[in-house]
Amino acid sequence: MRLPPREHELIDRSKTVTFTFEGEPVRAFAGDTIGSALFAAGRRVFGRSFKYHRRRGLLCCSGQCPNCMMTVDGVPNVRVCVRPPREGTVVKAQNVVGSLDRDLMAVTDRIGGPFTPVGFYYKTFIRPRWAWPYYEKFLRNAAGLGKLDPHVTERRRVDHEHAHAEVLVVGGGQSGLEAALAHARAGRQVVLIDEGPEPGGHQLANRERIMTMRSLAAETAQAGVEILPFARAIGLYEGNLVPVDRGSTLVKFRAETVVAATGTLEQPLVFAGNDLPGVMLPAGARRLANYWSLRPGERAVVLTVDDRGVETARELEAAGVEIAEVVDYRERVPRSVVAKGRKQVRSLTVDGKRFDCDLVVMSGSPQPNYGLLAHARARVEFDPGRGIFVPVELPPGVEVAGEASGDVGSPAVPPPSHGEGEGKSIVCFCEDVTTKDFKDAVAEGFDSIQLAKRYTTATMGPCQGRLCHLNAVRVAARETRTDEGTIGTTTARPPTSPVSMGLLAGRPHEAAKRTSMHHRHKDMGATVFWTGSWRRPHSYSADPQAEVRAVHESLGVIDVSTLGKLLVKGPDAGAFLDRLYPNRFSDLKVGRIRYGVLTNDAGRIFDDGTVARLADDEFYVTTTSTGADGVFQWFEWWNAVWHMDVELANVTGAVAAVNVTGPNARKLMERVFDGDVGNEAFAYLDAKRGHVAGVPALILRIGFVGELGYELHFPSPHGEHVWDALFEHGAEWNATPFGLEPQRILRLEKTHILVGQDTDAESNPLEAAMPWIVKLDKDDFIGKWAIEHVQERGLRSLLVGFEVPSGRMPVEGAQVVVGGKSAGRVTSVRYSEQVGKVIGMAIVPIDLSGEGTTFEIRIGGELDQAVVRTQPFHDPEGAKLRS
Amino acid sequence: MRDIFFKKKMWRRHELKPRYDVVIIGGGAHGLATAYYLAKNHGITNVCVLEKSYIGAGGSGRNTTIIRSNYRTPEGAEFYRDSVKLYEHLAQDLDFNLMFSQHGHLTLAHSDRGMVVSAERAEVNQLLGIDSRVVGRDEVMEICPQIHLDGAFPVYGALYHPPGGVIRHDAVVWGYARGADRGGAEIHQGIEVTGIDVSNGRATGVQTSRGPVAAGTVIACTAGWSTQLAAMAGVKLPIWTTILQACVTEPVKPFLDVIIVSGQLHIYISQTDRGEFLMGSGVEPYPTFSFTSTFGFIEELSKHMLDLFPQLASTRILRQWTGLCDMTPDFSPVMGLTEVDGFVVDCGWGTYGFKATPIVGTTLAELVATGTTPRLIEPFKLERFYTDTLVSEAAAASVTH
Repeated sequence: MRLPPREHELIDRSKTVTFTFEGEPVRAFAGDTIGSALFAAGRRVFGRSFKYHRRRGLLCCSGQCPNCMMTVDGVPNVRVCVRPPREGTVVKAQNVVGSLDRDLMAVTDRIGGPFTPVGFYYKTFIRPRWAWPYYEKFLRNAAGLGKLDPHVTERRRVDHEHAHAEVLVVGGGQSGLEAALAHARAGRQVVLIDEGPEPGGHQLANRERIMTMRSLAAETAQAGVEILPFARAIGLYEGNLVPVDRGSTLVKFRAETVVAATGTLEQPLVFAGNDLPGVMLPAGARRLANYWSLRPGERAVVLTVDDRGVETARELEAAGVEIAEVVDYRERVPRSVVAKGRKQVRSLTVDGKRFDCDLVVMSGSPQPNYGLLAHARARVEFDPGRGIFVPVELPPGVEVAGEASGDVGSPAVPPPSHGEGEGKSIVCFCEDVTTKDFKDAVAEGFDSIQLAKRYTTATMGPCQGRLCHLNAVRVAARETRTDEGTIGTTTARPPTSPVSMGLLAGRPHEAAKRTSMHHRHKDMGATVFWTGSWRRPHSYSADPQAEVRAVHESLGVIDVSTLGKLLVKGPDAGAFLDRLYPNRFSDLKVGRIRYGVLTNDAGRIFDDGTVARLADDEFYVTTTSTGADGVFQWFEWWNAVWHMDVELANVTGAVAAVNVTGPNARKLMERVFDGDVGNEAFAYLDAKRGHVAGVPALILRIGFVGELGYELHFPSPHGEHVWDALFEHGAEWNATPFGLEPQRILRLEKTHILVGQDTDAESNPLEAAMPWIVKLDKDDFIGKWAIEHVQERGLRSLLVGFEVPSGRMPVEGAQVVVGGKSAGRVTSVRYSEQVGKVIGMAIVPIDLSGEGTTFEIRIGGELDQAVVRTQPFHDPEGAKLRS
Repeated sequence: MRDIFFKKKMWRRHELKPRYDVVIIGGGAHGLATAYYLAKNHGITNVCVLEKSYIGAGGSGRNTTIIRSNYRTPEGAEFYRDSVKLYEHLAQDLDFNLMFSQHGHLTLAHSDRGMVVSAERAEVNQLLGIDSRVVGRDEVMEICPQIHLDGAFPVYGALYHPPGGVIRHDAVVWGYARGADRGGAEIHQGIEVTGIDVSNGRATGVQTSRGPVAAGTVIACTAGWSTQLAAMAGVKLPIWTTILQACVTEPVKPFLDVIIVSGQLHIYISQTDRGEFLMGSGVEPYPTFSFTSTFGFIEELSKHMLDLFPQLASTRILRQWTGLCDMTPDFSPVMGLTEVDGFVVDCGWGTYGFKATPIVGTTLAELVATGTTPRLIEPFKLERFYTDTLVSEAAAASVTH
């Protein structure tokens, strides 16, 4: 089947690989694609169409059209015309019932037509209603192309790179090379990307031009242009970002100037039988002959609107193809063209004259490939004199070179279609949309290209309109009796060609944050779980209650390094915080701590934490674990808005924190801390600096969990050292590590809130039962107006503690029910051994918020009773905290 | 069935009249549904729908077609519950197959906090008779055996909503358009509203690119430009506009029936009847009216999607697009009367407008016909921003599809 060895062929006949197609071995030369090797082996049918299961053969040989999609090594929808085989590659046909040559579903083409016109599925299977799921199942199975392998879990390694170019030229055809050369000679750093194995563009398949192209490429490279082969631009995004697909690498280029030298998209002509195997685009036929030394047919008819078809005829003749006729539209535009044949084209009848042939080359309008330009919002205009869309009004930093600009000479304008009533004239190859479908769609009122596109689904298939957009617009314009300029275009959207999710995703990363003591937790048997992006100990044993007991009875230690930690420093620091928080910090004494919630301008709580004054002009602010970055941004934003004399630093990662708590906490502190920890010298809500186990530290005496407690903040690198020291010296009091779950029980016993759990996007400090934290007498603070408004209108709900006398446990999120309707919800609930009850917090209507009030909650689908408790369940006076 | 042999115009073209009883601005699903129910339920037929582009050009043609009712607030859940009920019979009502397939909807939880939010939604839903419940890992695997539970963000469980499903969005637009046309309403495409006439606190008509039109009632059913439109009538809306992005892959044979949403990973996915995977993310965090797609979107989405479905690594994304979303402070819509008599708004639909279409149409039509606000949309009135009675979907809305 191969021609004798030819000059410039891309195959190396000394090297072969063998792959299988439908289980049969197929031999290929190095340089072959799966498609060319199958063609060499005599295959003419490469696929079945989406809807009618019509036979489809090689059409473009450039990876553009849907005709040759097969399943390769389990991956569906691979365009085999551009995929090289490897030894042992397994290739299978797809979307067929039976085989490519005998596909049972092809019955839809022969007899299904009248029953399956455009949009038939909108008008059928409506009644009876219950039957739709069955119809749907059938439709779903009939649709789709290849089949995914559900068991694949391994991913090919893909890397992402970032690159910069002063000039990035997309497309290595003649004009791309020339543009690159010109820019390089002007002293700019130029990168040129090209999809193929070497630059040269469509002229690589032109034996007369190939050497000229190669020397131009060499000259360009010599001028310092970096040429990247096998590199495909995915799109042109804002800021001249051009992500480039290089197979196993995604290179994200940023360029000062992007030059689109993307050439043209060869368009099919629309005539009856234009999708038969053997009807090809010029590039398809030329590549078969010149790349792979295959004779695309024995006898050919060429239909062409410009020189491209004439050149193609010459190239084919050189490959031994007999040219029966060249129909040059510039001389005469035929009115009727009909291709016939069953398994492949056997004849072409042009205006009544029949030519026997097994190859038809259709060289329709040379449509500039403006996709990248359209992504960058270039406008596109119809040129009626040449029958093509051309880009106009380029955005800054974007240039266009060569044919992509519309510089395509003076092609003839072919008719939107050639005659009717002789079988299907395909407009959209991907979706099997015919000229008749457009006629019907317009007749039904889908009379703009946007509506017609959506109704017929033309341009929505795998080629994304590259082979059908122009023809679709022209057919629709004819049917609506308007012109192409009026009917307009659909929007060219990225990506320029389909791009795999594996390439986009890159290597799988596990975005976990761990504290500097993480490995100690693992060593001590912690169950680690996700909280936001942090991994934290849930508990260290199967019994979190034991850890709770340890805290209440003796000594517990918890890693709280995940807390956000900000330094606020400067003469205005106090005033700055006064504006951010509803309560006041400017009057906080140096060395003292105050709790604060942060509200947004609508008075809603979005974070909380403690604020310690370290010096007159310096505050140490802690935030919630998940809120750290958000609060820091919030502070920075307002600092920029207010122009205050304040500097901010986010030290969350640099500082580790451990809470040492329990009745014996002071005893441990006496051992490890180099300062006085007596209750007089170091009182509740004092902040002191000193050393813990020799490490400089800031100690905050606070009590989130309700027992005497010290929160030690120190440089992260010393995490394990401090942790070890605490357990070494604390062994006497049986120091016990405790995790997040025991902490939640402990804080619930104190009814200390967790922002985001006990509050939601509508919670304000008043209805969250923290009126003491709001200082409305301050000049202003963020959210003041809104909180004043809440006070004026009166509270409608309140966050309260509750207990469940029946001992049943509602879920967190359980509804408070009044009169059968939701009236509030349980925000937190746990069983407390200490209290001996199921306790929790809930948002209840204000009239049910009084101490001792009974309200109903839904537990396990039934209503149960809960009783309001407005005081903390444990140590309501805070005596232990102050002890 | 007969319709496949006899082609009829779905809707007609008309000359613009000088006056209509009701002028609806925006020829998306909401506007067309309102026109349809005005005629069907209330016999009001002197109605026109003005669309500056083509019908369904905005959010109706850009959304990812998910229909569900498992909302967080009782107000939202009840509203969408009734919407789903209407959707279930809409194909028969409109005599147009909308291809509504209720294959179920799973909102994954990747943390114990996520499980609590799921539980809360399930509790709210169950009280309202909505089929919605929390399922554990095993049941997630039963419902969706393809899923990979132990990726970078392990799946703890999910909120399962069996009636959730997908529909053919364009068909909803076209079905309502045909119904509205047959009911007597006029659909005008390519006419832009440039002004709203207000005199003595009452809307009296609109200015358009084809001249003035007088109106008894003007309804704004737009998304993306609703703040500017309302401003034409002097009404200020607490709305900011941003984009939501989506993308679709090449079609493959059936792989995934159920809809998968992950709020924490900010992704969701369904497979259409055509075989494509339809995927999306949360709204972008910056205000914009630009329809520009970003590369970061498909990059991040792919990264997280492959975490759940590594089988999709070789699947190719075919195209990506954007739509405008009008966001309100509480992530609930703004519907109903305004301080300008005769000017009704149906705006602020964020990422949840399409799924409300039938109930929006029926309630707005009732509001216009009777002059009183139906109970179901009472919570969504504009006044709530003055009385501080917000309907907070925000907590559940990191990804709300």
